Amino acid sequence: MLLPAFVRDCRTATRLIERRAAATLRPGERLRLWAHLRLCVYCRRYEAQSRLLARLAPHSPEPFTPATAAMKAQWQDQITQALR
Amino acid sequence: MYRFAYRRVREAEAAAELVQETFLSALAARAGFRGEASERSWLFVILRHKLVDFYRQLARRAAVEQADSAPEDHETAEPLFGPDGHWLAAQAPQAWPPAHDALEQQELQRILAACQQRLPARQQLVFARRFVEEIPAADICQELALSAANFWVLVHRAKLSLRQCLERHWLAAPPLPTSSPS
Repeated sequence: MLLPAFVRDCRTATRLIERRAAATLRPGERLRLWAHLRLCVYCRRYEAQSRLLARLAPHSPEPFTPATAAMKAQWQDQITQALR
Repeated sequence: MYRFAYRRVREAEAAAELVQETFLSALAARAGFRGEASERSWLFVILRHKLVDFYRQLARRAAVEQADSAPEDHETAEPLFGPDGHWLAAQAPQAWPPAHDALEQQELQRILAACQQRLPARQQLVFARRFVEEIPAADICQELALSAANFWVLVHRAKLSLRQCLERHWLAAPPLPTSSPS
């Protein structure tokens, strides 16, 4: 049986998944993606994992090292110079 | 201010420079400061402008670098999809075990942060603005002078790479010991 190309096209499906998250799909795209997701377990996983990434990202730990004394001294210097 | 800049550029040298430039611009423009807002918020407005300039510069520089080096036909460093667009067998997404407790969640976040650092500069920037700082897509496009189509290509590539990186490093890692050996 000859299947339509979009059934195998996960590259396009994953692209549509990303755009769907921001609700910018046209009706035809939405339908094709819906049909693809019914048939493709990998892209269903991709969608769930992509959502998880979006949920985790805002809370990712920030490696932060405070400004060093040397930096502060340099800022001070520049300001004093600029004020002169 | 330094912390604010650092969180956004993730590089001590660049952050320090931005703070410095902010102070200098503020001094140069201090005649225009009318005390309508606090000095603090006035300084932050200047810093935000400096950051946008910095992002633009970064996006331009990365665009030039990428034009030379990136392969045009696939999304990531190594191909993920076959010629018909289907996942290659070795790259197809695996089922992830749910992250049950806070510790696993933390570990996942740590890996995600490390994976982000490995993205090409432009993808890293777009991902951070969109998903870490949660800025609307249209605003990012304007700020970085990107077309919507380009923006979505970058988001798609960043997500594909991050998903793959997380799968490799999270799924493959041995489960963390639940009790500390001592």
